[in-house]
Amino acid sequence: MKIKINNKNYKAEEGELLYAVCKRNKIKIPTLCGTKEHHEGLCRICVVEQGGRLVTSCNTKVCDGMEIVTESEKISKARRINLELLWADHAGKCVTCKKNRRCELQNLAEDQKIENFHFIPRKEEMTGGEELDLLKDNRSRVVVDEGNSAILRTTELCVECRRCINICPTKEFSFNNRAGDVVVGAPYEKPLDCIFCGQCAKNCPTGAITDKNDLQKVIAELDDLKKMTVALVDPAIFETIIFEQPEINSKNKLIGTLEAIGFEKVFDLGFGIELALQKMADKIKSSGKNNLILSHCPSFNLYIEKYYPQFKNNILDVENPDELMAEFIKNQYASEQKINPENIVVVSISSCVAKKIKKSDNLDYVITVRELGRIIRQKNIKFKDIKNSDFNKDLLPKNESSKGIIKTGGAAEILAKKTKAKYIVADGVDQIKNIFNDLSKGRVETKIIECMICEGGCVNGGGQTRKLK
Amino acid sequence: MAKKETKIITKNWGKINPQNIDEYISAGGYQSLFKFVKEMNPETALGEIKISGLCGRGGAGFPTGLKMESVQKESAAADGEKYFICNLDESEPGTYKDRAIVDSDPHMLLEGIILASLIVGAKKAFIYINGNYRKQIEILEKAVEQARKKVFIGQEILHSKYGLDIEIFSGAGAYICGEETALINSIEGKRGEPRTRPPFPTQCGLFGKPTAVNNAETIANIPWIIENGGAAYAKIGSKKSAGTKLFIVNGAVKNPCVVEVPLGIKLNDLIEKYAGGIQRGKEFWFAQVGGSSGRLALEKDLDMKLEYDREAKIPLGSGAILVVDKTVDIHELLLSWTSFFRRESCGKCVPCREGTFRLWEIAKRLQDGEVSERDVAAIQDILWTLNNTTFCPLGKFAATAFSDAVANFQKEIYKLSR
Repeated sequence: MKIKINNKNYKAEEGELLYAVCKRNKIKIPTLCGTKEHHEGLCRICVVEQGGRLVTSCNTKVCDGMEIVTESEKISKARRINLELLWADHAGKCVTCKKNRRCELQNLAEDQKIENFHFIPRKEEMTGGEELDLLKDNRSRVVVDEGNSAILRTTELCVECRRCINICPTKEFSFNNRAGDVVVGAPYEKPLDCIFCGQCAKNCPTGAITDKNDLQKVIAELDDLKKMTVALVDPAIFETIIFEQPEINSKNKLIGTLEAIGFEKVFDLGFGIELALQKMADKIKSSGKNNLILSHCPSFNLYIEKYYPQFKNNILDVENPDELMAEFIKNQYASEQKINPENIVVVSISSCVAKKIKKSDNLDYVITVRELGRIIRQKNIKFKDIKNSDFNKDLLPKNESSKGIIKTGGAAEILAKKTKAKYIVADGVDQIKNIFNDLSKGRVETKIIECMICEGGCVNGGGQTRKLK
Repeated sequence: MAKKETKIITKNWGKINPQNIDEYISAGGYQSLFKFVKEMNPETALGEIKISGLCGRGGAGFPTGLKMESVQKESAAADGEKYFICNLDESEPGTYKDRAIVDSDPHMLLEGIILASLIVGAKKAFIYINGNYRKQIEILEKAVEQARKKVFIGQEILHSKYGLDIEIFSGAGAYICGEETALINSIEGKRGEPRTRPPFPTQCGLFGKPTAVNNAETIANIPWIIENGGAAYAKIGSKKSAGTKLFIVNGAVKNPCVVEVPLGIKLNDLIEKYAGGIQRGKEFWFAQVGGSSGRLALEKDLDMKLEYDREAKIPLGSGAILVVDKTVDIHELLLSWTSFFRRESCGKCVPCREGTFRLWEIAKRLQDGEVSERDVAAIQDILWTLNNTTFCPLGKFAATAFSDAVANFQKEIYKLSR
C-alpha cells in the first residue's frame, strides 16, 4: 500500500507501524519509551499529525492512503511540553549522573532545544507552609534499591517509560501506585531479587537503572603503582565498545586504550574460556548422567536455582572462564613471574552483569562495557596518542575458535565435538521454559544442555551497551 | 406536559421492595425476558434496539445497537466465546445514577443484563461494580441469587436453549476503570489502565474475546425496549437522541434530585421545574454538565438542549449537573477538580501523569489568586497537551472544566502579580 509522509509517497506493508515505515525511510522521529518489540505509546513524544490530529507513530498501524506530517509547529509543541513535563519530574543533576552524555532524555532535550523548565515551581513561588509540602510531595516517591551487588535502581531518575517492565525476561518489575506517585519497582517495593541478566540496565534510557559499581575503587587500583592491575577482556565486547566511545574502532585500539588508562597487562579471556571448556569436557566424559547443564551463563545458574531447583544437581560444577583465569593468574602465573599474588588486581571487562553476583575472591572486579566507557571518559584521554596494541603474549588461547561460546550454542557445539555427545540449546527465557517443562516431564533426554538467558548469547548480554540515536 | 409522565427506568422506584423479586415480577418485571425467549431471537431483538436509537448513557453516547451488533456479528471466532460486561464503576464525582438504579430496582438492571447478553450471544456476563458500593454489591448479589432460583439465570434460562452466568466483579474504585479497556484489564487481573485501540473490545476484549461493555443505565432501558418495541422508544425524547435519561441536579438548587426526564429537555427547565430553581438569595453563575469532566454552561447556555449530539457545544456526559452560584470560590473548585484527576490518573502516559500533577500543584498555589505570568503560560501549555496528546480520554477530561474556567473567568481566577 501507499502512504504519504510529508507530501512524499512511500510504500508500506499491511499492519506495519507508522514508526517503522518512517525509520526505514530515514525520517527521524524522536521517541523515548519504545523498545524493538514493545510500543506502548506512553511518552507521547513520537507524535505525528494525521489530518490535524496528533497520533503516536509508534503504535499506529498504517492504512492505505494515510497522510502524515512529521514536523509541524503543533508537533514540536507537543514534544516540547511533554518533554518538559518529564524533566520537571526528573531530579537528575546531569553531571553527577552515571549516564551523563549517554542519556536518552538528555539527548532528546538537546534535540528539541529545551531551554528552560516551565513546570518546576521556583522557591520564591512557594510561600505558605502548605506549599512547601509540595516540594516534599515531589520527593516522597523516590525508591532506591541497592540491595544487591549488580544493579542499582533510583526512581528519582526514572521517566516511567516501562522499557524495563517490558524487556525483563522474568517480569520482575511493574508499576507501583497510581498517577503522579507511580514508581517502577518489584511488587511491594521489595529489593530486587532476580536473575540479574542486566537487560533492564542496558535498556534504561536514563540513569534510573545502572550497574552497581566500584568504579572509584577500580580507578584507585589503576592509579596505585604498587598494584599490578590486569584486564581480562571478554571477546563479546569488541563490537560494542565503539558505541560507548566511537574512537575505539578495533580490538587493537581497545587494548591500547586499556593500557593507556592504566592496565598493566591486558589478557585475552579466550585462555580462560579454554580452561573452562576443558574442565567441562572432562566432567562430561567422566559423568554417567544425562541432561548435563552447562554452567557458563551465571544468570542462567541463578535462574535454575530460583525457578527449577530440582535440576540444580545437573549443572556442571565448573566456574566461569573469568574465575578460572583469575585463579590461574593469581596462582601459577604469579609464581612463574615471581609476583606477590596479593599485588595482583584482576578486573574482568565483561558483557555480563550476573558475573558481579557470582564472583568469588580471585576475581577482584567485574565491570561492564558501560562502566568501561565511563572510566575512559573520566580519564579524559587523547585518542590521537593511543597506539594499537595486542593481547599480552603470556596467556593466549591455543585456538581462536573456542571464542564461539559467546554466542548461544557455541559452547555446546565445541563440547559435543570433543565428547561426541548429543546436545540441545535454548536461547532466551521462553525457550528455556519450554525445555525445562519438557525435562520435568521426561520428554527430553540428551547429554548436554546449553541455555543462555540473553537472547543470542553474550553478544547481546546485559552488560553491553546500545547504539544511541 | 404529557411527556413528563414518561418513566422507563424509574417506573418502579419507591413502589416495590427492591430486594424482592416477586414484587418486581408482579409489577410486570421479567416479561421482556419471557417475550424474548418465546417470541424473539437475538437478531430481531437487536433490530428493536437499533430502531430505538438508544445511546450509551455512560457519557460518550455511542449508539448501543451498533456496539451490540458488532459483538453479535463476531460469532465466527473459533470457540464462539463472548462476554458481556455491565459497567457499574460509577466514579465520576457527583454522579450516582447507577447506584440509584441498583438501590431502587436491581432486577430491572439484571433483566437488562440478561437480555443484552443473550442478544450479543454471551454465555457469561460480568457486573463490574465500584468497590466503594458495598451496599449495592450486597443488593446485586441477593438479586442474582433470586433470579437464579427462578431460572432467569443459569444453564437453560426458562428451560430454553439460552444459557448465561452472571458474576459480580468488584473493582477497587478507580476512576480510570470506568474506561472500558481499563475495566477489561482490571477483570483480567491486570493493572487498571487503558489499552491501545484498535483492536476494539467488540473484537478483542476480555480474555481476547469479543466483549460488549455497556453502562448500567443503558442496560436498564433494554427490558422496556424489548417489551414495547424500539419504535415506541424512539418516539420519546428529542429528534437527535431518543429515550429518557436520569439527571442528577446538585449544588445551589432548592431540591437536589435524581430525576428521569426525556432527553432534549432544556437545562433551564431541568433546574427550574425539577430541582425547584436556584436557592433563595443566590444567583446562578454557571452549571457544570457531566460531572467533574464536564464543561461549564454559562447563563447564555441555559436554554441549551440536554441530549446526546456529537456536535453539541456542551456534551451531556453522565448527566450529573452541578449548579454553581456566585458565592462559590472558583479556586476551590479548580483545586477540587485537579486533585481528583491528579489522584485518578493511572500514570501510564506522560502528559496525563505529569500534567495533572503540575496542574494540581499550580492550582494549590493559586488559592490566593496570586500567580506569575510563568504559571499562566504553564497552565495553557498543560491544558493544551492534556487536550491533544493523552493516551485515553481521561487526560482530555482533566482539562475540560479547567479550560472552560480559565477561558471564562479569567478576572476571578487571576490577580496577576509580576
